[in-house]
Amino acid sequence: MTRAEFLTRLKRGLAGLPAAQIADIVADYEAHFNEAQEAGRSESEVAAALGEPERLAREQRAEQGVRRWEETKNPSAAASAIFAVVGLGAIDIIFLLPLLMGVLGTLFAFFMAAIGIFVAGGAVTTVGPFAGPPGGPAVAFLLGIGLMAGATALAAVTTLLTVGLVNGLIWYGRLHYRLLKPAIETQV
Amino acid sequence: MTEAIEVQLKKGVLALCVLALLSKADSYAYEIASKLAKDIDMGEGTIYPLMRRMQSDGQVETYLVESQSGPPRKYYRLTPAGRASFTAQKAEWAAFVSAVDNILGAAA
Repeated sequence: MTRAEFLTRLKRGLAGLPAAQIADIVADYEAHFNEAQEAGRSESEVAAALGEPERLAREQRAEQGVRRWEETKNPSAAASAIFAVVGLGAIDIIFLLPLLMGVLGTLFAFFMAAIGIFVAGGAVTTVGPFAGPPGGPAVAFLLGIGLMAGATALAAVTTLLTVGLVNGLIWYGRLHYRLLKPAIETQV
Repeated sequence: MTEAIEVQLKKGVLALCVLALLSKADSYAYEIASKLAKDIDMGEGTIYPLMRRMQSDGQVETYLVESQSGPPRKYYRLTPAGRASFTAQKAEWAAFVSAVDNILGAAA
């Protein structure tokens, strides 16, 4: 592989990251080729020593996705971290994927249930006292407040579970970082 | 499972080796990569994602140095946090190695 080919494949793999970041990463590898050339090594030899440009790009993307998640714990950061880690291609993550999707679906259902109960609680609180409920207006009011509090608690617990799940997945993904495998496999 | 442990071990050791090299003198990525590739048989490309992570973790920082030939070089140096992390990891490593050595010695 030539230097130009390596850099083209690397850039293709990095597409979608902020332009400044791509430029920064590419500059690192360009400098590597320059230094190697001065040391008298051939382009193909250096490209081989660096490893697959696509894999290097995936690792940089995963790192980027994980950093975003650590900075802002919001659903889009979670999604990009999950996809970046899955993109590393650790085979057992792919096997775990259906299970993971099931768990994420369940958490999503919990969120929806929490919203539904909250809305219902709100309705009972505001309308209930005027609808002549069994036990009197105060009971309906308290019941509504209770439902809303319960829904809030459910949502909070679900959020904690989700954050924990994504953190766990990232930990697992990092454990399997493929960037270390070539270091081990070249010895074999 | 053993493979996962081996990966994790190597990963920890790589970061530790980079910290150790930088604790002796500031350096640039090519120098670090070729040294570690030669001494501990690490893939050369591995260093770049690692340096980026260490930089975003605040363990290293970069500065540019003019070179006679070609564009300026990006040098890495340890931050105080990186230095502290090196001291801590080095102690952990020494304790781990001596524990393993003891077990190996007992088995011999």
